[in-house]
Amino acid sequence: MKLKAVIGDREQDLNVQIDGESVRAEIDGRIYELELREPEPGCYLFFRDAEVHECRVNKVQDGFDVSLHERSYPVAIIDPKRLRSDQDADRHHHGLAEITAPMPGKVVRVHIETGAAVEKGAGVIVVEAMKMQNEMKSPRAGVVISINVKPGDTVNAGDVLAVVE
Amino acid sequence: MFRKVLIANRGEIAVRIIRACRELGIKPVAIYSEADVESLHVRVADEAVCVGPAPSSQSYLNIDAIIAAAKAVNADAIHPGYGFLAENAGFARAVTAAGLTFIGPSADAMETMGSKTSARRAAVESGVPIVPGTVDALTSFAEALATAEEFGYPVMLKAAAGGGGKGMRLVTSSGDLRSAFETAQTEAAAAFGDSSLYLEKAVERPRHIEIQIFADTHGNVVHLGERECSIQRRHQKVIEECPSPINDPDLRRRMGEAAVKIGKTVDYTGAGTVEFLLADATREFYFLEMNTRLQVEHPVTELVTGFDLVREQFLVASGEPLSFTQDGVRWTGHAIECRVYAEDPANNFFPSPGTITHLREPAGPGIRVDSGVANGSEVSIYYDPMIAKLAVWGRTRDEAIDRLRRALDEYQVTGITTTLPFFREVVGDEEFVAGRLDTGFIARFNERHAAPVEPPQEHVDLAAIAAAIHYARTQQPAFVQPGANGRWKMAARAAGLRRWRKS
Repeated sequence: MKLKAVIGDREQDLNVQIDGESVRAEIDGRIYELELREPEPGCYLFFRDAEVHECRVNKVQDGFDVSLHERSYPVAIIDPKRLRSDQDADRHHHGLAEITAPMPGKVVRVHIETGAAVEKGAGVIVVEAMKMQNEMKSPRAGVVISINVKPGDTVNAGDVLAVVE
Repeated sequence: MFRKVLIANRGEIAVRIIRACRELGIKPVAIYSEADVESLHVRVADEAVCVGPAPSSQSYLNIDAIIAAAKAVNADAIHPGYGFLAENAGFARAVTAAGLTFIGPSADAMETMGSKTSARRAAVESGVPIVPGTVDALTSFAEALATAEEFGYPVMLKAAAGGGGKGMRLVTSSGDLRSAFETAQTEAAAAFGDSSLYLEKAVERPRHIEIQIFADTHGNVVHLGERECSIQRRHQKVIEECPSPINDPDLRRRMGEAAVKIGKTVDYTGAGTVEFLLADATREFYFLEMNTRLQVEHPVTELVTGFDLVREQFLVASGEPLSFTQDGVRWTGHAIECRVYAEDPANNFFPSPGTITHLREPAGPGIRVDSGVANGSEVSIYYDPMIAKLAVWGRTRDEAIDRLRRALDEYQVTGITTTLPFFREVVGDEEFVAGRLDTGFIARFNERHAAPVEPPQEHVDLAAIAAAIHYARTQQPAFVQPGANGRWKMAARAAGLRRWRKS
């Protein structure tokens, strides 16, 4: 199985062969020979010689969240066999930047208007969650082409609040 | 003793109080909002009553609904926990008026301590020092100079209308006073439209130290020693310990006696906490405020004294004397508590609500976890993001820190981001290990730990491999373990075998 894995902002070639309980993986030239057990769904226990590594994998919005050894790693997997032009590619090519809600909450203030120019990093919308007000910032300089919320609206994680071109 | 108690709270503290109820043979009744119907505190109760929709103003703060719930289940007392209505004198009065017992101090004592000015007056009446300062705004520079000479440097100039550090200046000598006075005035005018200033004696590198007191209706008022709560962010405590790393028996006795005096002045009953600012160098302490309830951090006192504070609250509220006297209080070993929040420490402690997909809490020698969540729990946006408290005990502070480090490494929470990684860094921090704590700790800690610690390449690679395997397992069924016996194949074989036997 040949895939690409994106960790942080590094894209790496990943070749994983699973044969029963044996795993042979090559990642950017580094080779891992592992024994694999799955004590519960989403939990992968690797034995590398005598070393034990317990990994927990959760599906998240745009990839996987993997926990091991007191840390968590966001990993995106790109499968060349299934590659199709996804929204991400679109967004980048057309110079659009979406401002999304990082968590569920309530919109308390909207500092921008459609058609207005914004600076990169300017606070545009304030969302309140868990007794805290959080200012969403524009990821780029540009012009606001749409605002999808108004004060008082309830939003979910991942909702697009506004789009900057 | 009470027969049935309604707990007017949620989360870990509701679970904690239910545990005390069980030990005393009291039937615990939970309340919950519509968002909390599946939460842990409901699942461990005998009875549970919905008191309203998710927002706390309509549920956990809804006095009428809570008292109606207590009447409906025929409870004889209400325990408020901490937060929500715990320090609401109106609630205490309404509970009593409904013929139920409020587990806490009298409404009058709550009211006296609830106001900053009457609380300061009570402290002065008890002969307990408060931070010296001017009561009215300064009228001139000459007055500022005279007052500063009287208090002694360093002093703090503060905007009378202010807050948030604007119009605030620390002045260390008389030579700096004039320019500080003028800039603070300008800043205050710009920020608040009011240039008036007042002056306070500055407490340098202040430690936040509080004293647990307990009083019954038989005239006993005792103290259970101090808790060091200097590690705070956004004026909220995150790590507490008992004893304070700078504990000395004389200081504990003096602070304890001061706290007991205040308790006597306001005719206090039940569990209360008197908070002080302590100057690190001089060991002078000043009354800050009193919390008229059980504190979040009560477990560290319990671990070191051996008393169950919630059990004592029930005893006192039912009219019995405390189970111990001042002479019977002994402090053994050292306890440290970390408040585990659903917040992202790497992103300015941004709240991180969501579903807990996996939870493995630490256990073993010296470990206590007071948790409000379970596997699959939803951490909602409506309430305080604290999900659990991890408390550890050791014979010495060093042993407690060793256990804390071990317990933090054992603690697994996935699905939400928590403050656990932050605590893992704190336990290895030189200032923390040395016990050099004051309210500026986190600011200095953040500077020392600005650079992220890179994980080993092997772990990063294994994470990628695990994600790839999970992708294969969940996205491409045909890829799963070629040659293995699938369920369909097994079923078909079994069916074939049955047919063969019949024929």
